[in-house]
Amino acid sequence: MKKTLIICLALIMCLTCSTVFAGGSSEKAAKTTYNVGICQFVQHVALDAATQGFEDAIIEALGKDNVKFNYQNASADMATVTTIINSLVSDKVDLILANATPPLQSAASATDTIPILGTSITDYATALGMPLDGTGATGINVSGACDLAPLDKQADMIKELFPNAKTVGLLYCSAEANSIYQITEMEKYLDKLGIKHTRYAFTDSNDVASVTQSACSACDVIYIPTDNTAASCTEAIRNVVEPAKVPVVAGEEGICSGCGVATLTISYYDLGYTTGKMAVQILANGADVSKMPIEYAANPIKKYNAELCKSLGISIPSDYTAI
Amino acid sequence: MNIGSLISALPGAVAQGLIWGIMAIGVYLTYKVLDIADLTVDGTMATGGAVCVMMLLNGANLWLAILCAVLAGMIAGLVTGIFHTAMGIPAILAGILTQLSLYSVNLAIMGFKANQGINFRTTRILISSRNVKVIGFENPIFIMIIVTALLIGVLYWFFGTELGASLRATGSNEHMARAQGINVNVSKIIGLMISNGIVALSSALYSQYQGAVDVNMGRGGIVIGLAAVIISSVIFGKIFHNFALKLMGVSLGAVIYYIVIQIVLWMGLNTNMLKLLSALVVAVFLAIPYWKGKFTKGARHA
Amino acid sequence: MLDLINISKTFNPNTINQKVALDGVSLHLDDGDFVTMIGSNGAGKSTLLNAIAGEWPVDSGRIIIDGNDVTGLSEHKRALWLGRVFQDPRLGTAATMQIIENLALAKRRGQKRGLKIGVTKAEKDEYREQLATLGLGLEDRLTEKVGLLSGGQRQALTLLMATLKKPKLLLLDEHTAALDPRTAQKVLTLSDQIVTENKLMTMMVTHNMKDAIRYGNRLIMMNAGHIILDIKGEEKQKLTVTDLMEQFVKTSGEELSDRALLS
Repeated sequence: MKKTLIICLALIMCLTCSTVFAGGSSEKAAKTTYNVGICQFVQHVALDAATQGFEDAIIEALGKDNVKFNYQNASADMATVTTIINSLVSDKVDLILANATPPLQSAASATDTIPILGTSITDYATALGMPLDGTGATGINVSGACDLAPLDKQADMIKELFPNAKTVGLLYCSAEANSIYQITEMEKYLDKLGIKHTRYAFTDSNDVASVTQSACSACDVIYIPTDNTAASCTEAIRNVVEPAKVPVVAGEEGICSGCGVATLTISYYDLGYTTGKMAVQILANGADVSKMPIEYAANPIKKYNAELCKSLGISIPSDYTAI
Repeated sequence: MNIGSLISALPGAVAQGLIWGIMAIGVYLTYKVLDIADLTVDGTMATGGAVCVMMLLNGANLWLAILCAVLAGMIAGLVTGIFHTAMGIPAILAGILTQLSLYSVNLAIMGFKANQGINFRTTRILISSRNVKVIGFENPIFIMIIVTALLIGVLYWFFGTELGASLRATGSNEHMARAQGINVNVSKIIGLMISNGIVALSSALYSQYQGAVDVNMGRGGIVIGLAAVIISSVIFGKIFHNFALKLMGVSLGAVIYYIVIQIVLWMGLNTNMLKLLSALVVAVFLAIPYWKGKFTKGARHA
Repeated sequence: MLDLINISKTFNPNTINQKVALDGVSLHLDDGDFVTMIGSNGAGKSTLLNAIAGEWPVDSGRIIIDGNDVTGLSEHKRALWLGRVFQDPRLGTAATMQIIENLALAKRRGQKRGLKIGVTKAEKDEYREQLATLGLGLEDRLTEKVGLLSGGQRQALTLLMATLKKPKLLLLDEHTAALDPRTAQKVLTLSDQIVTENKLMTMMVTHNMKDAIRYGNRLIMMNAGHIILDIKGEEKQKLTVTDLMEQFVKTSGEELSDRALLS
């Protein structure tokens, strides 16, 4: 008897806590036609924009009342990702949006019937552990949009803005496969341009500052790819690079506005929007997700951060847009 | 919020719970039997998966890959054991040091990629979240029940042997163990090796289940393991006295933990609050024996 | 036999808390000697036992048990020759393990432990018999966890464990001090019985001068890290408490501490 009392007490505690914090996950709709599950890995500007673009594209095409979104954020915890995917799959949603690599992997493992669209993913083949076919499709119930901004053009941008740079520091989080992929490709392009480069990897937000400091003391320019961890701590990076007067070229706009001077960015909102249009094809027009090739980012735009450029005394050519 | 959707999500939660339950059994061995708080598990929880997945992707036999994962975990336990016994570093710190080093080691095992996917469609694996609703032998719940039962059986036999008894004695009364001629340093090392081997097994199974190994997948693992141990000791403490049943209780504790998380998610809780809630759940379960003690004492005085 | 050759031990050397616990102690025990040890607090009695057991290495001197020089061996390696009962009843047994498991552990003292079953069926019967000799009803509670037993029961059990596998040297370190008078008497009688029956070489530390005189064939008195009195055989039997006190004052030039006087 006492035991059951205690168990009930504990459960009631959970219930009470959750009613306090409840809300903020799913939109209410009177009659729903399509159930779309969204699993976002972590909260930051780029991923949020992608989710927003995705939702907007679907609402525009199908109408607000015909879609019900179940949005869940995993707070960068792997086990939570699996739990969220488990509830989406068991809810038998019509489509799953996997925003970042861990949700994509978990979803691909959990179901081979529900269509899965990835967004903010840099390398589908490595993420899924299988190669893409000739058309760029996966052949399984996964497709999506890829956020890879053309790295050769980014290398060109470094050369264009800093022609006298001798060494480029490649700053990234060692736990992010996407970043490692971009860094490896970037090194090849820098080699072609004859620019020396060194890798500077940090493990998490705790050692960002010290690793950035090392990079600043040995390099003329720093490059940061589309790294989720860096995107979450741009302030810390800025506090090191600005006084050290080392310019940062960023892989996406969010990082650039936080600590960089220039970026060849794709719009994550546009990327999400593209993914949303693919979703509409699947939901309303019955397209086969396994045959849809991975879509790549639309025209990248050259952008610069006016404030930091002024602070570091860098002049920017006229074909750049201010953030 | 319909109850149907919660019920249909339960099999997934149970499967996750059973897999983490293996890890919790490993934590139980060091925490309760050996009386060491071993933080190595946050690292080992990724090492097992890293070894297993990389071997599978290179065409190795499934069972060999899992076996190697367990061996890798045991090596991690050995390192912590050496830090603690031969180098005199306090147990908690020794575990943290090993866990720290494992980050780099795990990255290296994964070929310096932080994340590696594995696909049940192209590689033969033991369990996958795909089969959670299937009625048959591929259902992860079924497989995990068998794995858990086998593990408990082996551990029950082991701790009944002379060597196993000497480990238990070391954890119960180190002074007495030495007086009985037991080399307590060796006991601790063996205990840490067994425990981390088990955690690595859990890791190998989990990375197959979720379709990927990620260098950060072990983060916060010790909290989940301890939560399962504590939940089981509070709920089943008075009923289960037999060692085998106690281990089973630990596995159930992990299942309960994941069911609670699933319920919380189903209620529409903002998942950003999930970590706070997990901490609260563990805190409540930890407080229950303390409150019980207080109330009983109070009743006597009244 | 036991040989202690010039054992010295200083705790916290070169600090304010420096204490010379043992100062060049030499002692020879023959097989079958049952030695009682008395002395005021801090005299070095328990320290001597701990030195023999190997809880820490001695600063100088040698310890030879049955012809084996154990001076450099760690505590668990010396366990092969020693049986020990401590003052704290909780120290001698594993509380979370069963009575029968504790006995099984003790039986294998000094042996290599492998993957054989921890407690065999034949052992169970043997332990039941042995426990019955204690007269405490423990033979009916074989599978109970030791933590449930009282202090006196645990000490009796520890005593049995220490002698299950006949040790070359039995060390009893004030093992009745933490028990109530009745239980203490019971355990003491038991100890004497076991030691006499098995002719065990024993060193028993006690604060009770009457007991020290009554039991054993030899009496040693220590003070400030030295042995100041060593009486055996007939001379010991004729001793009285007053004699002892006089001897103490004569050889050490100090007064005995209150606690020893009260017993």
